[in-house]
Amino acid sequence: MRTAAGRRHSKWVVPLFSLALGFLFLGIQWSNGDPGSGLVSFAIMVGFGAVILFGGRSETIRGLRGDGRDERFRQIDVNATAFAGLVVITAILVGFFVELARGNDGNPYGLLGAVAGLAYIAAIVWQRVRS
Amino acid sequence: MKNLVRELRMEHGLSQGELATELDVSRQTINSIEQERYTPSLPLALGLAHFFGKTVEEVFDANGSR
Repeated sequence: MRTAAGRRHSKWVVPLFSLALGFLFLGIQWSNGDPGSGLVSFAIMVGFGAVILFGGRSETIRGLRGDGRDERFRQIDVNATAFAGLVVITAILVGFFVELARGNDGNPYGLLGAVAGLAYIAAIVWQRVRS
Repeated sequence: MKNLVRELRMEHGLSQGELATELDVSRQTINSIEQERYTPSLPLALGLAHFFGKTVEEVFDANGSR
Protein backbone atom coordinates (compact mmCIF):
# COMPACT_ATOMS: atom_id res chain seq x y z
CA MET A 1 0.00 0.00 0.00
CA ARG A 2 1.35 3.39 -0.92
CA THR A 3 1.89 5.73 2.01
CA ALA A 4 0.13 9.03 2.34
CA ALA A 5 3.32 10.92 1.58
CA GLY A 6 4.27 8.85 -1.44
CA ARG A 7 6.97 9.97 -3.85
CA ARG A 8 8.71 13.28 -3.34
CA HIS A 9 11.78 14.62 -5.01
CA SER A 10 14.56 16.99 -4.14
CA LYS A 11 13.81 20.71 -4.13
CA TRP A 12 16.69 21.13 -6.56
CA VAL A 13 15.15 19.14 -9.43
CA VAL A 14 12.81 21.83 -10.81
CA PRO A 15 15.26 24.76 -10.40
CA LEU A 16 18.05 22.77 -12.06
CA PHE A 17 15.70 21.73 -14.87
CA SER A 18 14.77 25.40 -15.34
CA LEU A 19 18.45 26.30 -15.46
CA ALA A 20 19.11 23.57 -18.03
CA LEU A 21 16.22 24.83 -20.17
CA GLY A 22 17.58 28.36 -19.84
CA PHE A 23 20.97 27.25 -21.16
CA LEU A 24 19.21 25.38 -23.99
CA PHE A 25 17.24 28.48 -25.00
CA LEU A 26 20.37 30.59 -24.78
CA GLY A 27 22.39 28.17 -26.90
CA ILE A 28 19.75 27.74 -29.60
CA GLN A 29 18.91 31.44 -29.91
CA TRP A 30 22.56 32.45 -29.76
CA SER A 31 23.43 29.97 -32.51
CA ASN A 32 20.59 31.46 -34.59
CA GLY A 33 22.26 34.87 -34.28
CA ASP A 34 19.92 36.28 -31.65
CA PRO A 35 21.93 36.35 -28.40
CA GLY A 36 19.76 39.15 -26.96
CA SER A 37 16.62 37.03 -27.04
CA GLY A 38 18.66 34.10 -25.75
CA LEU A 39 19.78 36.09 -22.73
CA VAL A 40 16.21 37.23 -22.04
CA SER A 41 15.00 33.61 -22.21
CA PHE A 42 17.86 32.53 -19.96
CA ALA A 43 17.06 35.26 -17.42
CA ILE A 44 13.37 34.27 -17.37
CA MET A 45 14.19 30.62 -16.73
CA VAL A 46 16.77 31.46 -14.04
CA GLY A 47 14.24 33.80 -12.42
CA PHE A 48 11.58 31.09 -12.42
CA GLY A 49 14.03 28.60 -10.94
CA ALA A 50 15.06 31.07 -8.24
CA VAL A 51 11.43 31.75 -7.27
CA ILE A 52 10.81 28.02 -6.99
CA LEU A 53 14.01 27.38 -5.03
CA PHE A 54 13.76 30.32 -2.62
CA GLY A 55 9.99 30.57 -2.58
CA GLY A 56 9.76 30.01 1.15
CA ARG A 57 7.09 28.00 2.89
CA SER A 58 4.20 28.60 0.51
CA GLU A 59 2.36 25.32 -0.11
CA THR A 60 2.00 26.19 -3.79
CA ILE A 61 5.73 26.80 -4.21
CA ARG A 62 6.67 23.70 -2.21
CA GLY A 63 4.24 21.63 -4.27
CA LEU A 64 5.58 22.97 -7.56
CA ARG A 65 9.11 22.38 -6.29
CA GLY A 66 8.25 18.78 -5.40
CA ASP A 67 9.51 18.55 -1.83
CA GLY A 68 6.17 19.55 -0.32
CA ARG A 69 3.96 17.13 -2.17
CA ASP A 70 1.61 14.85 -0.37
CA GLU A 71 -1.36 12.89 -1.75
CA ARG A 72 -3.63 15.95 -1.80
CA PHE A 73 -1.16 18.03 -3.75
CA ARG A 74 -0.58 15.14 -6.17
CA GLN A 75 -4.34 15.12 -6.84
CA ILE A 76 -4.20 18.89 -7.36
CA ASP A 77 -1.29 18.33 -9.76
CA VAL A 78 -3.21 15.71 -11.76
CA ASN A 79 -6.26 17.98 -12.02
CA ALA A 80 -4.12 20.97 -13.02
CA THR A 81 -2.28 18.89 -15.62
CA ALA A 82 -5.58 17.66 -17.08
CA PHE A 83 -6.88 21.24 -17.24
CA ALA A 84 -3.70 22.48 -18.92
CA GLY A 85 -3.91 19.59 -21.40
CA LEU A 86 -7.51 20.47 -22.19
CA VAL A 87 -6.55 24.09 -22.84
CA VAL A 88 -3.67 23.07 -25.11
CA ILE A 89 -5.81 20.59 -27.07
CA THR A 90 -8.53 23.22 -27.48
CA ALA A 91 -5.92 25.67 -28.80
CA ILE A 92 -4.60 23.01 -31.18
CA LEU A 93 -8.09 22.29 -32.52
CA VAL A 94 -8.78 26.00 -33.02
CA GLY A 95 -5.45 26.40 -34.79
CA PHE A 96 -6.16 23.35 -36.95
CA PHE A 97 -9.54 24.66 -38.12
CA VAL A 98 -8.17 28.16 -38.70
CA GLU A 99 -5.42 26.70 -40.88
CA LEU A 100 -7.97 24.63 -42.81
CA ALA A 101 -10.15 27.71 -43.30
CA ARG A 102 -7.15 29.54 -44.72
CA GLY A 103 -6.80 26.81 -47.33
CA ASN A 104 -3.76 25.17 -45.75
CA ASP A 105 -3.36 21.52 -44.76
CA GLY A 106 -3.85 22.21 -41.04
CA ASN A 107 -0.30 21.40 -40.01
CA PRO A 108 1.44 21.49 -37.63
CA TYR A 109 -1.80 21.58 -35.63
CA GLY A 110 -3.12 18.39 -37.21
CA LEU A 111 0.04 16.53 -36.31
CA LEU A 112 0.01 17.88 -32.75
CA GLY A 113 -3.65 16.91 -32.42
CA ALA A 114 -2.87 13.40 -33.64
CA VAL A 115 -0.03 13.09 -31.11
CA ALA A 116 -2.34 14.30 -28.34
CA GLY A 117 -5.09 11.88 -29.34
CA LEU A 118 -2.76 8.91 -29.57
CA ALA A 119 -1.10 9.79 -26.27
CA TYR A 120 -4.52 9.98 -24.61
CA ILE A 121 -5.61 6.59 -25.97
CA ALA A 122 -2.27 5.01 -25.01
CA ALA A 123 -2.58 6.43 -21.49
CA ILE A 124 -6.14 5.09 -21.16
CA VAL A 125 -5.01 1.60 -22.22
CA TRP A 126 -1.95 1.72 -19.95
CA GLN A 127 -3.93 2.90 -16.94
CA ARG A 128 -6.65 0.29 -17.54
CA VAL A 129 -4.08 -2.53 -17.73
CA ARG A 130 -2.34 -1.32 -14.56
CA SER A 131 -5.47 -0.91 -12.45
CA MET B 1 -16.60 13.56 3.94
CA LYS B 2 -17.87 14.02 7.47
CA ASN B 3 -15.26 13.12 10.03
CA LEU B 4 -14.11 13.53 13.62
CA VAL B 5 -10.51 14.45 12.84
CA ARG B 6 -10.77 17.92 14.34
CA GLU B 7 -12.41 16.66 17.53
CA LEU B 8 -9.91 13.82 17.94
CA ARG B 9 -6.98 16.14 17.25
CA MET B 10 -8.21 18.58 19.90
CA GLU B 11 -8.68 15.71 22.38
CA HIS B 12 -5.04 14.77 21.85
CA GLY B 13 -3.94 18.38 22.22
CA LEU B 14 -2.33 18.52 18.80
CA SER B 15 -2.09 21.38 16.34
CA GLN B 16 -2.82 20.76 12.68
CA GLY B 17 0.89 21.07 11.97
CA GLU B 18 1.83 18.50 14.60
CA LEU B 19 -0.72 16.00 13.30
CA ALA B 20 0.46 16.66 9.76
CA THR B 21 4.04 15.92 10.78
CA GLU B 22 2.97 12.66 12.43
CA LEU B 23 1.23 11.54 9.24
CA ASP B 24 3.79 13.00 6.82
CA VAL B 25 1.35 15.27 5.03
CA SER B 26 1.02 19.04 4.85
CA ARG B 27 -0.81 21.13 7.44
CA GLN B 28 -3.11 22.30 4.66
CA THR B 29 -4.11 18.69 3.94
CA ILE B 30 -5.16 18.16 7.56
CA ASN B 31 -7.10 21.43 7.42
CA SER B 32 -8.81 20.39 4.18
CA ILE B 33 -9.84 17.04 5.71
CA GLU B 34 -11.23 18.77 8.79
CA GLN B 35 -13.13 21.25 6.62
CA GLU B 36 -14.48 18.30 4.56
CA ARG B 37 -13.04 19.76 1.38
CA TYR B 38 -10.73 16.81 0.79
CA THR B 39 -11.44 13.09 1.17
CA PRO B 40 -8.22 11.30 2.13
CA SER B 41 -6.97 8.17 0.42
CA LEU B 42 -7.53 4.84 2.14
CA PRO B 43 -3.89 4.70 3.39
CA LEU B 44 -4.16 8.17 4.93
CA ALA B 45 -7.61 7.44 6.39
CA LEU B 46 -6.22 4.26 7.94
CA GLY B 47 -3.21 6.18 9.21
CA LEU B 48 -5.44 8.78 10.85
CA ALA B 49 -7.66 6.13 12.42
CA HIS B 50 -4.72 4.11 13.71
CA PHE B 51 -3.05 7.24 15.07
CA PHE B 52 -6.13 8.01 17.18
CA GLY B 53 -6.69 4.36 18.12
CA LYS B 54 -9.98 4.20 16.24
CA THR B 55 -11.37 2.35 13.26
CA VAL B 56 -11.86 4.15 9.96
CA GLU B 57 -15.62 3.86 10.41
CA GLU B 58 -15.38 5.60 13.77
CA VAL B 59 -13.47 8.54 12.27
CA PHE B 60 -15.13 8.90 8.86
CA ASP B 61 -18.74 8.75 7.79
CA ALA B 62 -19.30 8.37 4.07
CA ASN B 63 -23.04 8.92 4.48
CA GLY B 64 -22.52 12.30 6.05
CA SER B 65 -24.79 11.61 9.02
CA ARG B 66 -22.03 12.24 11.55
